[in-house]
Amino acid sequence: MTDNPMLNEWYPVGILTELTSEGRDTLLMGEPIHVARDAGGNPVVATKDGRCLPVRARYGHVWTSLGTPAKELFDIPEADQPGRRLVDVGVVRVKCSPLRAVENFLDIAHFPFVHTDILGAEPHTEVQRYEVQIREEVDEVWATKVKFYQPQAAKSAEGGITTDYMYRVPAPTVSILYKTCPPRPGEWDVITLFVQPMAEDLCQVWPWMALFDDQTPMTDLIHFQQMIFLQDRSILENQLPRLLPLDPGMEIPTRADMTSVAYRRWLKRHGFTYGAQLVAA
Amino acid sequence: MSSNATCSDMFTLRGDLGAPSFLPWIARHAGRLGIIGRVTAASADEVSLLVEGPPDLVDAMELGVSLGPIDVWVESIERESLLLRP
Repeated sequence: MTDNPMLNEWYPVGILTELTSEGRDTLLMGEPIHVARDAGGNPVVATKDGRCLPVRARYGHVWTSLGTPAKELFDIPEADQPGRRLVDVGVVRVKCSPLRAVENFLDIAHFPFVHTDILGAEPHTEVQRYEVQIREEVDEVWATKVKFYQPQAAKSAEGGITTDYMYRVPAPTVSILYKTCPPRPGEWDVITLFVQPMAEDLCQVWPWMALFDDQTPMTDLIHFQQMIFLQDRSILENQLPRLLPLDPGMEIPTRADMTSVAYRRWLKRHGFTYGAQLVAA
Repeated sequence: MSSNATCSDMFTLRGDLGAPSFLPWIARHAGRLGIIGRVTAASADEVSLLVEGPPDLVDAMELGVSLGPIDVWVESIERESLLLRP
């Protein structure tokens, strides 16, 4: 695994406010690691044989890498914007490829069928044409001008609205969703999916949000997002093949899958193949 | 446009296309979609491909080819519409 470019990427391994001095054991790409808080209150991460790993404390989470990251952790400027509520949603363990978890988050077409009467509803199933690009200057996948009808786009939404979306993939196991902010037109709510790859077919998902919503109790915001993700989990754990195919093979991508295809192309170009199936089944 | 409409497009693919797996892969993928995908010229860095079928499936062919097999890198696809018949 030494020539695996994904070793040099940043990954979430815990929630900052839940760190203890005793710490806890977990896995990162098959490697046992220990995540704890030192005497000064700073997060520390080490491998089982005592090697200290690089650490960042950002977006409510502890980030680390098994290698030597060439880039600093990606930026989410909205995290520092006054007036936003920052929500650590918690963790969901999913028996699926970490890349599958990200791809599912990028998929709009499943909303009416998996998140029925919340993020989508029949007969509003058509995904209108949108734009996808790899922004070379930042080396990120972006999908813009995405529009979709949603019966309840957010906890704060009253009634159905056509929601505008943007999707961004700044790292192989991170996706950031920008969506219409019901209480504050002109701003975007930010909902992220931070994925910890534990093994090629096992991951922990740490959703995190930066919202303009002064009304909804924090527990309701968390429960809403957890409910959405738990609906996805049963789908993710039953997908075949279990790893994300980089050769379309038996899967036939269509226009609605443009973001998924761009994500797979970006993974392929960088050799980010941990959790991927390289040859069609 | 009627649902039975057919379009005929010429795809010019550019990239690192020299792997022997690529041309058979194109034929297989077109077959799965049930459309025509005929290679009219091929080199290690450019492949010309005539694609005929319903517009949505021709779009699907473009998406599939943009990903391609693992040993091929399709950098760009130039698409030229030849005709559209109802």
